[in-house]
Amino acid sequence: MKRFVAMLLTLVMALSLTACGNSGEEEPGDVTQDQTPEEILNNADDIMNRDFEDVYKTYFSSSYASFNYFTTSYATVREIIANCIDGLVEPDIYGVYVPSLAESWTSNEDQTVWTFKIRQGLKWVDHTGAETEYELTAQDFVDGIRYIGDPLNGAYSLRVIRDLISGLYDYYWTLDDIDSGLITDQNREDVVASFDDMVGVRAVDEYTVEYTLESSAPYFLSLIESSMLLLPVEYDYAMELGADFAVDNEHMLYCGAYYVSDFQRDKAITLTANPHYWDKENVTIETVEYQMIPDGTTSLEMFERGEIDYTTVEAEAYLSLQDTEWADNLLPTSHSFSTNYLWLDFAGDNPEFNIFINNENFRKALQYGLNREAVASLREPVDPSRILRNTINAEGAIYDSNGVDYTDYSPLKEIKETDYNQPELARQYMEAAIEELCDEEGNIIGCEAGTVDYLPVCSFDVDGKLPVTICYVGTDDESEIIMAQLFKAMLEESIGAEYIDFQIQAYSGWTYGTVADPLNYDIYFDSLSTGYADPSGLLTRMTTDGAENVGCYEVPEFDALVEKALAADNFEDRLQYFAEAEAYLCEGAYLIPFISSLRGYYMSYSVPYTSPLTLYGNTKYKGTLVMDEPLTIDEYNTLTAAYELERAEALGANG
Amino acid sequence: MGKYILKRTVNSLITVIIVFIVVFMLLRLMPLSGYFPQEVLKETDEATRMSYLRNQGLLDHPLVQLWRFVKNLFHGDLGRSLTVYPQVPITTLLAEKIPVTAAFGFSSMVLGIILGLSLGLLMVRFKDKWGDRLGTGYILAVRAIPNLIYLFFIQVWISKWFGLPMVFYEDQPSSWILPVICLSLSSIAWYALWLRRFMVDEENRDYVKFALVKGLPKKEVWKKHIFKNAIIPLVVYLPSDLLNIIAGSLVIESLYAIPGTGGLLTTAIKSQDNNLVQVIVLMYAVTSVVGVFLGDLLVAAVDPRIKLTEEG
Repeated sequence: MKRFVAMLLTLVMALSLTACGNSGEEEPGDVTQDQTPEEILNNADDIMNRDFEDVYKTYFSSSYASFNYFTTSYATVREIIANCIDGLVEPDIYGVYVPSLAESWTSNEDQTVWTFKIRQGLKWVDHTGAETEYELTAQDFVDGIRYIGDPLNGAYSLRVIRDLISGLYDYYWTLDDIDSGLITDQNREDVVASFDDMVGVRAVDEYTVEYTLESSAPYFLSLIESSMLLLPVEYDYAMELGADFAVDNEHMLYCGAYYVSDFQRDKAITLTANPHYWDKENVTIETVEYQMIPDGTTSLEMFERGEIDYTTVEAEAYLSLQDTEWADNLLPTSHSFSTNYLWLDFAGDNPEFNIFINNENFRKALQYGLNREAVASLREPVDPSRILRNTINAEGAIYDSNGVDYTDYSPLKEIKETDYNQPELARQYMEAAIEELCDEEGNIIGCEAGTVDYLPVCSFDVDGKLPVTICYVGTDDESEIIMAQLFKAMLEESIGAEYIDFQIQAYSGWTYGTVADPLNYDIYFDSLSTGYADPSGLLTRMTTDGAENVGCYEVPEFDALVEKALAADNFEDRLQYFAEAEAYLCEGAYLIPFISSLRGYYMSYSVPYTSPLTLYGNTKYKGTLVMDEPLTIDEYNTLTAAYELERAEALGANG
Repeated sequence: MGKYILKRTVNSLITVIIVFIVVFMLLRLMPLSGYFPQEVLKETDEATRMSYLRNQGLLDHPLVQLWRFVKNLFHGDLGRSLTVYPQVPITTLLAEKIPVTAAFGFSSMVLGIILGLSLGLLMVRFKDKWGDRLGTGYILAVRAIPNLIYLFFIQVWISKWFGLPMVFYEDQPSSWILPVICLSLSSIAWYALWLRRFMVDEENRDYVKFALVKGLPKKEVWKKHIFKNAIIPLVVYLPSDLLNIIAGSLVIESLYAIPGTGGLLTTAIKSQDNNLVQVIVLMYAVTSVVGVFLGDLLVAAVDPRIKLTEEG
């Protein structure tokens, strides 16, 4: 009875949220709909001609572990570093890469050698904003790679860069083999001294750095934006500090628009504009004040009291603010390249699921049985359709040289546009699977009854008969449990409770290490993000032997297409083959992407589209304008429409 | 007395050593994947992870690691955090966090004792009347209502009504008020409840009745006999509150963004930060043992009926 009530409640909630979404159509529309482009641009000018503040107050929700941008993988650190350490290039407000610490750059024809000319006369500054003795030169970029290339420095999340920069892989593992005693006939100091000869990064002269890559990387500029491992370091300074390097703001140097002038661990961080910054004319905010606010409710309340200039607004809060004075200030979050998907376990201990999961009809039954919009409405009750996603790589993340979106390449475009909410089709696929895998009495052919050992997650008995027992494992987070209950309700409804028994296990603990990696699940929920402007970032990790193939499927056709893409002569062919590979994986339902990680809304005093459009990196405050009143949705729509017009013109002018 | 103290010190030391070694060894049984954040696990290969662990000394034999820790401990080096605050010296972390938590803990303990004892006296003074009912209502409310409900109410609404900050700011004294009150709410109830109970017990004892019959003033009996005897069982808990002062409160520190030690052990365990866990456990074990020890000494000092040794 309790089970029934839980399912009923979940369904009612999802349906009611979807209903809320539909009611959004009756809300006041976009003010720019009936305006001419001239009117839109004039209205946008009115907003941009106001007076702006020079302090921006925001918050963080989890600790800043350390500022060492080579060894710390925590996402929170990235935002500070994005503002304090400049890379070679950066995106402008339209996302086009423009000079940053590099004044210019070139690459060879196959884009395996990239050469950057560094600005001259720049110096590193300390945590007081004072210039140090250290000049920023090409050698600092070489030394960044030298730092991560030595295993003793502890940069372990370096796979992409290590595999890409010529010779770095061998350098790293040679040192590691010496450290572990596997190599005894080489001296560590000799190998370290041979870095310049072994590794494909060199200072051609004091202000020219050259990267030689293992393979063609047309996406290299986006990798510079996204990866902290390609940032410069003053090596002598870092080596002198050893393990203390960047443990706090006083033990690091800065070359970005800001320096960290105050750091109270787990409490507050203050960024102050760097007076010696190469582009200081475009730094509009003098001080960025961060404070620790651990939960969304507090941040929302503090925003309403005017104590901070930005807050996220989750779906529940969005609905509660509809009839308040803040209703006009709720702005939609713009994009997320992270995709949520269901992993299917092809090598687990559950004999019933094992037999069925290797059947394409069964996988398609799962794929077509999900009402993705209902799941999306748990996170985005107003317009759930904007977070639906059928592909692995996100729409809007990767473009070819003609400006065509990667997800518009056929056959990925068809996958992207497919409506997978087809319960009748799901049932048909399930019946086809049963026809192939079961006898007339409902016994699963070749399946023995037994006990499934998914410990420490769970253990359960299977009888080798229909319904197929499916063990879904998620975390014990409240929102994930509701989502799991929704999966259960909709799959048992569409496929048939007489055919599947969807069991939910909410696990508290290290889900990847205890659930995913040792295959203690049948279905598992996770997310992955497009990290830079190339499908290889995700797809090469999803091949049969790929690190991200958590489900342990074997799809040689997919592997071959990925190989073909990597060997392609030009970027368009590369994207075409990758699109075919991704479509193959999705079409065969080897994993099931269903929504993006985009969630909720926000309220802010900052003017959108005034800072660099960092698609792969973190927010940069350089250029951001801060109003003295919270931005309204009408102002947001006006600025968005104006931005689109200006962007089309700017990109058109640039070819 | 000296013999007793020596014996207890040796026993305490043995207890701390056993607790520490057991925790140290248990930590080494945890899965190696736990040393890495989930997103890193997905992005790295096993060989790289093993290389990292080896360079951190985490693949050495547990006894080798234990010896290294003990050796460094005697040089004043507690090691560096592994996963929660990578590479940050643990001494730095504790030096930053303990004073903050201790300041809040001490303030709330003082407030809890003053208000708790006052409420307890009020309840006894007006036993079965309005004062008693008021106190009982408060104690019941604090114990029966899930703390998150009233803590959240205080943070959002009381702060709004009285214009107080919602979170702690080091440079704003007014931002101390709500967290200190929140931290002391349950101890006020605890002191009030037990003081009332012990005083009512004492009030009904024969020696009190005898003193009153003999004509001693009621006020004097209350002050010199009932209150004094009732307070003794409470005194024993004071030193053990030392641990609470250092350990902090996960919920309240989180609500008010207080950068203290509240939840540090939980976070360290969840993140498998062995170095941090073992230092915190060692610190808590020492504090607990010392607290209990001091409690025994204190109660012997204030209560002449209690002797710590047979000889007295």
